[in-house]
Amino acid sequence: MEKNKYLLLGSSVGVLLLLIVAAQESFRKPWRQVQASGRGEDGEIAVRLRQITNANLRVGDRCVSCHVSMAPGEQSVTGAAILAAHKPVVHDPAEYGCTVCHGGQGSATEKADAHGAVHFWPEPMIPLRFAEAGCGTCHTALQVPNRELFQRARQTVDRLDCIACHRIDGRGGTIRPGGGRTEGPDLSHVGIAGYDKGWYEKHQAHAAKESAGPWKTSFGKIDDADLEFIGIYLATRVSAPALIEAKATFHSFGCLGCHRVSGAGGDEGPDLSRAGEKDPGQADFTNVAEGAGLDRWIAEHFRSPVAVVATSQMPPVAASQKEIDLLTLYVLSLRRRELPGAYVPRDQMQVTRFGQREFAPDGATLFGAFCAGCHGPEGAGKHASGGATFPAIANPDFLGVVNDQFLTETIRRGRPGRRMPGWAKDGGLRDEEIARIVEHLRKLGGAGPPADDNWRASSKPETGRGIYAANCSGCHGAKGEGGKGPALNNRAFLEIATDTYLMETVSRGRRGTAMAGYREPSPTRRALAKSEMESTVAFIRDWQKEKK
Amino acid sequence: MTVTPGSPNSRLDPEPIPRRDLLGLASLWSAASALLFAALGAMRLPNAAIVAAPSKSFGETLPESLPAGEAFIPAHRAVAIFRDSEGIYAISTICPHLGCVVKSNAEGFECPCHGSRFKPDGTVSKGPSPLPLKWLKVKAVNGGFQVDEATTVPAGTRVKA
Amino acid sequence: MSAPATPPPALQEFKDNLRAAPRRILETAFRSGNPSTDRTRSTFIFSNVFLHLHSVRVHRWTLKWSTSMGLGIATTAGFLLTLITGILLMFYYKPYPDAAYQSIKDIHFVVPTGRFIRNIHRWAANVMVVTVILHMARTFYTASYRRPREFNWLIGMGLLAVTLGLSFTGYLLPWDQLAYWAITIGANIAQSPREVTDAIGITGWFDPGGMQKFLLLGSDTVGPEALIRFYLLHVMILPLALMALMSVHFWRIRKDGGLARPADADQRLGNAPGPVYPVFTQAPLKTYSLAAIVRGRTPAVGNGPENTVPSMPHLFYAELGVFMLTTLVCLALALIADAPLKELANPSIPENPAKAPWYFLGLQELVSFSAFVGGIGIPTLVLAGLGLIPYLDREEAGTGEWFGGPGGRKVVFQALVVGFAAALAIESFAIRFGWIREWYLAVPQFVVTVLNPGTILAAVYGFYSVWLVKRYKSTRAGALGLFTCFLCGFLVLTVIGTYFRGPNWVFYWSPGDWPRH
Repeated sequence: MEKNKYLLLGSSVGVLLLLIVAAQESFRKPWRQVQASGRGEDGEIAVRLRQITNANLRVGDRCVSCHVSMAPGEQSVTGAAILAAHKPVVHDPAEYGCTVCHGGQGSATEKADAHGAVHFWPEPMIPLRFAEAGCGTCHTALQVPNRELFQRARQTVDRLDCIACHRIDGRGGTIRPGGGRTEGPDLSHVGIAGYDKGWYEKHQAHAAKESAGPWKTSFGKIDDADLEFIGIYLATRVSAPALIEAKATFHSFGCLGCHRVSGAGGDEGPDLSRAGEKDPGQADFTNVAEGAGLDRWIAEHFRSPVAVVATSQMPPVAASQKEIDLLTLYVLSLRRRELPGAYVPRDQMQVTRFGQREFAPDGATLFGAFCAGCHGPEGAGKHASGGATFPAIANPDFLGVVNDQFLTETIRRGRPGRRMPGWAKDGGLRDEEIARIVEHLRKLGGAGPPADDNWRASSKPETGRGIYAANCSGCHGAKGEGGKGPALNNRAFLEIATDTYLMETVSRGRRGTAMAGYREPSPTRRALAKSEMESTVAFIRDWQKEKK
Repeated sequence: MTVTPGSPNSRLDPEPIPRRDLLGLASLWSAASALLFAALGAMRLPNAAIVAAPSKSFGETLPESLPAGEAFIPAHRAVAIFRDSEGIYAISTICPHLGCVVKSNAEGFECPCHGSRFKPDGTVSKGPSPLPLKWLKVKAVNGGFQVDEATTVPAGTRVKA
Repeated sequence: MSAPATPPPALQEFKDNLRAAPRRILETAFRSGNPSTDRTRSTFIFSNVFLHLHSVRVHRWTLKWSTSMGLGIATTAGFLLTLITGILLMFYYKPYPDAAYQSIKDIHFVVPTGRFIRNIHRWAANVMVVTVILHMARTFYTASYRRPREFNWLIGMGLLAVTLGLSFTGYLLPWDQLAYWAITIGANIAQSPREVTDAIGITGWFDPGGMQKFLLLGSDTVGPEALIRFYLLHVMILPLALMALMSVHFWRIRKDGGLARPADADQRLGNAPGPVYPVFTQAPLKTYSLAAIVRGRTPAVGNGPENTVPSMPHLFYAELGVFMLTTLVCLALALIADAPLKELANPSIPENPAKAPWYFLGLQELVSFSAFVGGIGIPTLVLAGLGLIPYLDREEAGTGEWFGGPGGRKVVFQALVVGFAAALAIESFAIRFGWIREWYLAVPQFVVTVLNPGTILAAVYGFYSVWLVKRYKSTRAGALGLFTCFLCGFLVLTVIGTYFRGPNWVFYWSPGDWPRH
């Protein structure tokens, strides 16, 4: 019976030892060591758990247990780099917390868990180089143009040397000699704060008064085009320059042609409105090289969509490394958080309540954002690998024979049975926006509508049957159902295509495609007479009456 | 030592209860039935008459470009809606086996929990599910349509949009 | 006036009483005085409400390690550990969906010792499930369920059920993906009688399955109502039930004459080492007369004191030793591995694979063929069979001995082979070739419910044990075989369910082969 005593002795001693180990472990937390090295104004700082709470934003971030100087009321703790204060930003971290912008696990108190790149935490920190993506949690930049316009706007501001006096996004702004300020105000977030629209006149008046100094030497006349670009540039100064450039890039690759963001865009691909919140734990990282952050996954997805999502139908994005980084930044910024009324920012309100657009309203941006994905940035069309053909809509031969109504209606209603969606209903585009796209298209192709658009083919349809069978059915199918060439019996198409359009296309052909002009002979066939072409058009037109 | 029940003189077996103690029996039985009734009443409480769950019936519009045979899954609903040449129909994505949410794919549906597979029309093609997926009632309502998760319709019922 | 030389007697008495108060408090609390002799120790035990569940003296056979292996005490220890740590966790836990998850995160990250306490809670619960099953196996193999302990065996089964219930209800509380989908499956298993009512076509007016599920969840999906119900069950209803049953279980051990021992235990043990003290030199009249009217086998009735030893201290050393050992195991496990916590529950994306707690994975394996058979049919059959054992096996041979009874070790060994072989064979067949529905798509559900690996396995085991009963002309032999077989089946199915089932419940040789999302 002694052995029971040994059992009790042994296990009790064991329990004691384990308890000591457990107790010791809880006193060796990393944040204790970090805080022990910190020094405040009055010497050593209190070693305790710190946190930022904000019930409105539903934030309880203990990040400040290590990043002590970001805690409320503890601005000047010195010591290890980790203790340092946040660089100056619009939002005080002590009020807004950390995870709202940066992501990560606010309740955690150890590095790996807190930074969130651990199993079972769906929102890891946004990598520092994409930090501006965090702004997208609450904000959305408005009226962002496409990349080309944006770059020209930036160049204009650089060329006119606005940053000689003004500070913009940390650049420029010469300090006044003797004074402690720059000559002009900081313009880094005039896009939100607003600015005096009459600034140019005031500048001019001011310059006229001065006889010497920077006003005389640096400021000159600015022409209207440049003023417009300055306006674009200033409207997008929201303290997030990289994010704006990223969004401008996004508006140049035609991504909205298939994806929807905030209610505008096609639905061929998934809605991207919250794509930046994707849980990395739900993503397949098998084919993603180096590291396992969501940013790498997104970047790889641009390079080779099928490699990361086996069922993806998205074509690879032909973009440079820098552009892919920008697109990645933009996608990461597509996040949303439920906000209490007082915290909803003005820009968000503009979008959700007042229907303000996130893209600039000009035709070039609209075309870049919605059309360029399929029709190419210059409207030159595309042959996708799957065999789908996207027409070259900027082809002057095409633009020269269609009227604006054809273009508008095609965009509005789409082409049922083809990839082209109806942009008025499904795509969420407004009539004035569609009109600007048409305008831009005309500019791209450099061809106006046909002069006479009211001609009607008056022949009997039957007479065209033979001609159609001999010349057209090879590409367009015996019943006009399409083949190598587009379908001609599509009712939506016939309803908006005028006889002039059909006649002129048959007659002149379309350069750059297989469609030949039938008024000229070719080595294999003779030219068609005008009456023959007319009866063909009548034959095609007749399909419109078929099957209601 | 044997004790005969009822033998009046046993020191170890006190006087048994008289068999025809009407008052005692009546009191005991009424106490028992009162307690039973109370227990049944108490059991009634956990059986909620109504719960604060979202309505089983909801309205929805389908995107124009939805291809035939591809599922449209409304947010926060375990329903897949389809459109084909004959009309619109809705299939519940709750596995009849043990209630997991099935995923729609090219061959139909598959359940992640115990590997049940279903054909596009919801009939079982593999696995333990005892029943096909439920077809839900769809009603065309001006422009969109209304899906009722609580009402099952025979498989194959489609509604013209 | 001068002060009196001695204080008045009343005051003196008051002072003396005050000085004596601590001693008297102790004396009145423990009336038997210092437990320094066997006699005072005995009094100490039966005058103490907590200790008097023990008999005053305990047979030496009971203290042999091989007799009980301390498994019952280990289970109790597991319960006490979960009870204490559970009460501690309740300081921070908030039983409302997203808040629940956040509070577990807080317990994990910032509550002082929170992570450790939660780990102990989780491991002690697992240890409790393991030891309660082992305790049951011990009781079975030593034939300790026999007369007069039949009813205590039934109470023990109740305890097993409540233990599993406690574990299962605790599973939902973290409100993570693991919890959510395990409980969704569990609740639908409760609904699986529908498989039968649907087949007969009476679900419309008689739906016990649906009623069970609705009562459990308080709604038709797992939501806030379900969470508060599971919380209530976990912290109040089931622990109370467990404690009530435990009290009866312990009390019955005492009333049934301590642990079962062979009839010839005294001869086998030989003489006690060291001197033997007679216990009741002056038999206290009260106790003796009490013993006279209590029917049954208290250790002091009809037995000489020769092979018994005082419970205090010998039994207490053993019990405390096992308690501390269990604590040691739980603490060590708690330091090694953290209790799991996955993503916040997401009702629209199921975990893949969604697995129940490990002790239900055997059932989940069966459930993957037929929900009713795996979830309700087989468990009911097993529970009914177990419950009937003591009433069918009315033999005497082998009580209190390991693998006692006709056939003995031989039967157990043979049953191990049969049990493993049958379970492995049917499982390999089903994994390799699929099951009826894969061959004949149109087969009615009724056929699948009646004919599936679960029912076939149960039938094989059943026929085998009937054969054993005939072969050895003993119910005990059949019971030995059947119990062993079911234990093997449980083991095989649990291991397959735990280690070899991956996404979509597909068989994989190792988790390394799982497709990545």
